[in-house]
Amino acid sequence: MAITRRQALVSAGAAALVSGLGKPAIAAKEPILIGYLPALTGPSSSTGVGINRGIQLAVQEINAAGGVDGRQLELITRDTQSDPTKAVNGAAELTHGQKVSVVFGPVNSGESLAVVPLLARANTPQIHPCWVDTLTDPKKYPMCFRNAPTNQQIGGAANRYVVEVLKRKKVAVISDTTGYGTASVNAYVPMLKGMGADVVYQGNVDAANPDLKPELLRMQSAGAEAIMPWSVNAGFLSRIINTRGQMGWDVPIVGQTTLGSGQTQALLEKPDYWAKVYPNNFRPVCYAAGGKLSDRTNAFLDRLKNAKIDMRDTLLWWIALGYDSPRMIAEAMKNVGTEPEQIVGYLNKLKEFPGVYGDIAFTADKHDGYPDNEVVMVEANSLKDGAFSLAPGYGA
Amino acid sequence: MVESIVSTGVAIGCIYALIAITYNVMFSASRVFSFTAGTLGMLGGVLGSLFIARMGMPVAIGFLLALAGGAVLGIVTEIVAVRPVLKSLDQHLYVLSTLALALMIQQFTAIEWSTEPQPFPRLFDIARGGFDQQFWLPMLACTLVIVGLELLYRHTLIGHAFLAVAEDNFAARALGLPERSLRMASFALAGVIGALAGFAGGEMLLAFFANAPMLTFYGFVPVALGGMGNNRGAVVAGLLLGLFQQAANFLVGGIFASVVVFTMFIIVLLARPEGLAGATFQRRV
Repeated sequence: MAITRRQALVSAGAAALVSGLGKPAIAAKEPILIGYLPALTGPSSSTGVGINRGIQLAVQEINAAGGVDGRQLELITRDTQSDPTKAVNGAAELTHGQKVSVVFGPVNSGESLAVVPLLARANTPQIHPCWVDTLTDPKKYPMCFRNAPTNQQIGGAANRYVVEVLKRKKVAVISDTTGYGTASVNAYVPMLKGMGADVVYQGNVDAANPDLKPELLRMQSAGAEAIMPWSVNAGFLSRIINTRGQMGWDVPIVGQTTLGSGQTQALLEKPDYWAKVYPNNFRPVCYAAGGKLSDRTNAFLDRLKNAKIDMRDTLLWWIALGYDSPRMIAEAMKNVGTEPEQIVGYLNKLKEFPGVYGDIAFTADKHDGYPDNEVVMVEANSLKDGAFSLAPGYGA
Repeated sequence: MVESIVSTGVAIGCIYALIAITYNVMFSASRVFSFTAGTLGMLGGVLGSLFIARMGMPVAIGFLLALAGGAVLGIVTEIVAVRPVLKSLDQHLYVLSTLALALMIQQFTAIEWSTEPQPFPRLFDIARGGFDQQFWLPMLACTLVIVGLELLYRHTLIGHAFLAVAEDNFAARALGLPERSLRMASFALAGVIGALAGFAGGEMLLAFFANAPMLTFYGFVPVALGGMGNNRGAVVAGLLLGLFQQAANFLVGGIFASVVVFTMFIIVLLARPEGLAGATFQRRV
């Protein structure tokens, strides 16, 4: 039987009507796609591996509790392999191929520097935990939010600890020759001077240099009362700590979080050398005086234990940060929906989202959500179950 | 200060000198500068740490296995990256082939070992301090290699055969010497020397994949300064480089120390392009 043009049009119209009517019912059950760009392998993957444990737990919990308005969250994961190029490819696929509602990550600054402009052009809401200051800008990247501190906050906390808590006025600031290291020295030295400190030594040294004694002797002869290293290279940091120990120089070392990492610890000549080393960390996931954690953090630790999440080879703040991120996204979606403008509108007015890692708040003009006073210094040699004790001087 | 310059400077200079000898041993046998020399040094440290610290083997066995690993890599270099390009030496394809192999090994080490520096074990259980084993071990290794090579080249038949191939491989082959086997033996020997450099300097440099490019680079400087293929020149230049670098660390400091070292290197090469101890080549026409 031949089909006339009119019959074909009627059939097509009927089909369109049926599919149009059926769509909302199907959509309500479709999963919400969340793009996720962690570095799970490669040179900078230790952070990503820790964050990933928190993210997976949070998504499991949200889905077990019914998801968002009956829709399950589905993480679309693309491992960046610690490589900005792969991060860019992953971001392009997530936005154009998978059409995700929101992207979390990348979790390393080098990758985010490449990805943030791309996601801004794709009009995809993004939340990342990277510290480089320029990685948020409400005018250039209106859909990009940071639920972690900036480099200014990190350096500011270390500088305040040295100058205001330890009362050391003569400071040595040293870094390796990477972009991160030199940028940190350039940013933090003026901050220190602004606080009335005297920067008696300032240097960038090749991280492969096996002997840092000349540099430390130079600091000592300049009268330095505190050493502030800025590097993520455990070899470089351990050489500073070892040389200080060999010289028998009783001076505090205050700086980057890697000072307290297991990799740095493994390279120390003597365990005692880790004393008086104060890396950055975050108050809500640190032991206060008496070795106590907050109730919120204790409850989180119980959840981690129940879920049998391994804490021995990672840090609590990485897992907490990962855990908070999908919960914040889910809360936004529950309140306003899954469209990009709705999510961004909600985040622009977010007031103290209660995270384990910290309370996050944004405004339309400020997309850096982590509070200043939660960035603290800790005692490196107090590491227990992925968390540190607050450095002396913070009080209860 | 002087004590620190001498102990660290001579120790690191010995490591550079050993890497330079590794370059030279491979060069003598093949007229190829294999850029796997620094990779061999890196692997000496990584394999030593793997066998002794991670797998808990006795120091002597870990040491021998690390050297054996270097020898195997030396032979692999000869087969994979050198032999296929020997026919077109004038096109310098070996630069690409040996660099490619070095990069592959470096990346493989980063993936399978670690991207972070790992501790190298204390080889002798004696207290730290003063003239520590991390300083005298590279010096001892360098001395043993120099004496060993002198004895090998001057007093053994295989040493004479090595020299014959280095002098003129066509003539050596015409006389019935097994040139290919000798070349492979030379590369294995170079592998052992390179791995020894990294093993002896392991405590100072740590077991770190990124030591490979550093040693490839700083190990080549004594080769250029000492004259290509000249082991004695390489040792003297290596020691001078180590001492000069360490003195620059003390006197100038920071990133400027590297600038001073390479400025000096360029000045020396401008003044004596054939190297401090190198002889000018005369080509027969």
